Formats: sequence, C-alpha cells, structure tokens
Amino acid sequence: MKTWKRNLLAVPILVWIGLLVGIPMVLVVALSFLSRDHLGNIVYQFTLDNYRRVLDPIYLRVFLNSLLLALLTGLITLLVGYPVAYITSNLPPRRRALALGLIMLPFWISSLLRTYGWMILLGNAGLINNVLLALKIIDKPLPMMYKFSTSLVGTAYMLMPFMIVAVFNSVDKLDRSLLEASYDLGASKWKTFFHITVPLTLPGIAGGFTLVFIPALGLYFVSDLLGGGNTVFLGNLIHTMATRGRNRPLAAAFSMGMIALVLMVLSLYMKASKDRTGEGLFQ
Amino acid sequence: MKAKVSGFGIFYLSLFFVVLYLPVLSVVLYSFNASSSTAQWTGWTLDWYRQLFSDRVIAQAFRVSIQVAVLTALLSAVLGTFTAVISLWVTNRTKKAIQGMMILPLIVPEVALGVSLLFFFNALRLPFGILTLVLSHSLFCVPYVYIMVRLRLQEIDVSIIESALDLGASRRQMVRTIILPLVAPSIVTAALLCLAMSLDDVIISTYMSGPRSTTLPVHIFSMMRVGVTPKVNALCSLILMGTFLIIGFSQLITKKRRFS
Repeated sequence: MKTWKRNLLAVPILVWIGLLVGIPMVLVVALSFLSRDHLGNIVYQFTLDNYRRVLDPIYLRVFLNSLLLALLTGLITLLVGYPVAYITSNLPPRRRALALGLIMLPFWISSLLRTYGWMILLGNAGLINNVLLALKIIDKPLPMMYKFSTSLVGTAYMLMPFMIVAVFNSVDKLDRSLLEASYDLGASKWKTFFHITVPLTLPGIAGGFTLVFIPALGLYFVSDLLGGGNTVFLGNLIHTMATRGRNRPLAAAFSMGMIALVLMVLSLYMKASKDRTGEGLFQ
Repeated sequence: MKAKVSGFGIFYLSLFFVVLYLPVLSVVLYSFNASSSTAQWTGWTLDWYRQLFSDRVIAQAFRVSIQVAVLTALLSAVLGTFTAVISLWVTNRTKKAIQGMMILPLIVPEVALGVSLLFFFNALRLPFGILTLVLSHSLFCVPYVYIMVRLRLQEIDVSIIESALDLGASRRQMVRTIILPLVAPSIVTAALLCLAMSLDDVIISTYMSGPRSTTLPVHIFSMMRVGVTPKVNALCSLILMGTFLIIGFSQLITKKRRFS
C-alpha cells in the first residue's frame, strides 16, 4: 500500500477527535472573547471584558483557592501514597498482588459513593462524632463538614489511587542493587532514600502529581458536597456560570484559565520526567 | 534482592487500607439502619431498599444510564480497537499524532471538556439526551480502550503477523483471524471499564443530560445535595454490588487469558 493510503486509515479517529475536542475547544476560545446581553444571550461583539473579570480580585481568589486545593491534594497524596507504593512493591508476591488489588479497586467504585461516605463519617451526626461522643472524649459534636479542609480530604481521597499507581510503577522498576551499593558505601537509610530512591523515582512522582493535580482542579461535586460551597473553586464557578448563571462567555474565559493551569503543570511534568508526549502518564 | 518490609510498614499499609475502605463500608452499613438519621442505630431494616424499587424517577434514570453505558462501551470498543490496530500500519508520524490526540481528552479537565461540548452541541442544535451523552462519554473511554489494546498488541510476537502475510493472507484476513482473537480479552476488559466509567460519570453528564434523560449519577448527586438519607445509602450499595459483578466478570476474563 502507498503511504498516503495507509494513513487514510487514521481518518475515523481524526474526525472523532476533531469533532468532539477540536471544534468545541475552538468554540470555547472564540466564546471567551464575546459579550452577552442581560438575558444571557450571546452577543457577537469582540471584548476582553471576560478576561478582565477573570483578573478581578474576587475571581482571582477563586483561582488561588483551586490552585491551593490542587497543590495540597498533590502534596497529601504524595506524602501518604509514596510509602504505600514503596511498601507494596517490597511485599512478597501474594501479599503484593492483594495490596495492588486493594489499591486499584476504588477506581471502579462510584466516586459519588466515595464522597458520600465522607459525609456519613464527618457529619455532625456522623460516625466519627458518634463514636467520640459515646466514648465521652467530646461532649459536643465536632464541626468537621463544609470547610476547605473537608473538600481537601475528599479530593485527596478520591485521587489517591492515581498517585499510588504512578509512584508504584517507578518504584517497582528501581534497581535495588544501587540501594545496596549505597548501604555498602556507608550511607544511612535516609541518606540513601533521599539521594538515590527519590531522584530515581522522580518520573513517577511527577507523573502522579500531574494525574492528581488536573482532576483536582475540576472535581466540583466533591467540593460541593463536602465543602458545602463555602469555598468557591474554579470547577463550581464554571459550572454555575455555564448553566444557572447563564454567562457562557465568562465560563469560557474561566475554562481557558483552567486549561492554562493544566498546561503549566504539564510542561513541568515533561521537564521532570523527560516524557515528551505525556504518554507515560497513562501506561 | 528486595528489602524486607518492617512491622511498622505492615501497620502503615493496614491503616491506609482501613481509611481507604471505611467510607465505602459505612455507606453500606447505614443503608440497613432503621433510623433515618445516622445519629443513632435503631436496628436492621430493608425498608430503604424497598422504597427504591417503587421510585419511578430512579428507575427511569437507571434505564438511561444503562443505555448510555452499553452504547458508550460498544462505540468505544470499536473505535479504540480500530485505532490501536491501524497504528500497526500508518507512518510513524501519524502514529505519534494519534498518540498525542488520544491523550488530549484525558488531560483537559472534565469541566472544561463538558463546557466546550455544551457550547458545541448547542450551536449544532443537537437535542441533549442519549446521543450527546454517548458521544461525550466516548471521549474519556476511547483512549482507555486504545491504550489497553495497544499494550496487548505490543506483547504479540511480530513474526506471527509477518508469517501470516508471507503465507498469503490479506491484511483483512490477518486482522480477523490472528489479531482480533489475540486482543479480544483486552477489548472486553477495556469495554467493561468503559461501562463502569460511563455509569459513574457526574461532571460531563450534568452538561449533557436532557429533560427526560437524566443519568443515575446526576440524579444521585441532586439527592446527595439535600443531605444524608438512608435511601441514597441503599441506592449506592446496590450500585456497588453491580460494580463488583462487573469486576468479577473482568477478572474471570483476565484469568482465562493467562491460561491460554
């Protein structure tokens, strides 16, 4: 077959991506420069107002909230998940398979159910408060719901498996003889860990961080159910603007801002892991 | 030689798994609580499950979700497998381009993806419903099928393919008699994953649902916003059971593959 004929086979997938990602994204860019009338209808007039409003201190605050949530989610999942991945990779085969199964299982479990579980645990009449009250450790229910930290716990919990799997894949490939060489040369456990293990598993850390950071920006149902809307995040704002708020141009401008944040993290990831296409993220 | 795991390591891992599964288990536990509040445990009951089966809105949402999930899984299995298989023949540059494009729907945040599709289908005046739901769900499913099938293709011995062609098989024959049977287990597993992801999606579905085509997760989300009720617990527990059935099925298929 001729080369161009062979490449013709790629047409269906090109059409699919072009129609469902390409054109819609172009529309978002175009829409972000348009205005709207007071009924929420789009007016075809060029404006930079939407971007000016994105930089408005009130809305900038929303950006910072989301950025903070995503960064802290990355940090928490890394600190909690790295040891889990590390220990799992050192387990004997049978236990290791079991642990891996338990780590992957939540991918299949409804994310709403997993969020709802925290509502049951953390509520004023929730399980944790009930136990603490019954044990007479506290005499009034501890208010744990509807805070920034509640959203953070929920988001980190939701995305934890992504971090663990990414770190696991790179910890598992680690050449253990390097660690032994380090011990033989007199380095302590901690020194070996920070000077050998961490640098060698950096691609996994960067990959996990990226995989956690991106969805953390947009998991609005978690912050809605657990945070009670007390802290506004980008996801909630875009969702409200696009639907009930009927301000699509502004929603488009905020989406562009969100994508800009993602691109920033992606370029950092590509630098740290030397993965040019970003494909290493999904192996 | 691997390092031995210390007692503390085992303790940490166990504690982690307890925290990982505690929220899930408490949802299931409270679905059997006779009291409508989580404040107290007043005995076991199946009333909340009974209430579910007489709820017409939930039944309707469930039907929509199943339709969408099955159609999404089928569409994604076909398109994802097709793309993975043709990657064997296209030029290297096209292959790189396909790889890049497949990552695209996975790295754009779902909210932005949902908003962009909302604008697009609106501009096309496409009615929101099953069709828009299936198209949008295929967006995050096709890449997974593609990745899983391609990983399996990489394991296949290239010489088998070459000898088939040397012996005079046409490309079409070769795909049908050699490649497809070899990658079939991966296709089925990937399709089941698509089924689970489609049944679970909240974010894109919120934008894509029409007036009579609300999916189950979108409906559950609106129920949860009102607060904790045992009915939601019962519903979630049933979905969990369904998920376990799907996982069991996919385990069965991967096991089979290992022995053949």
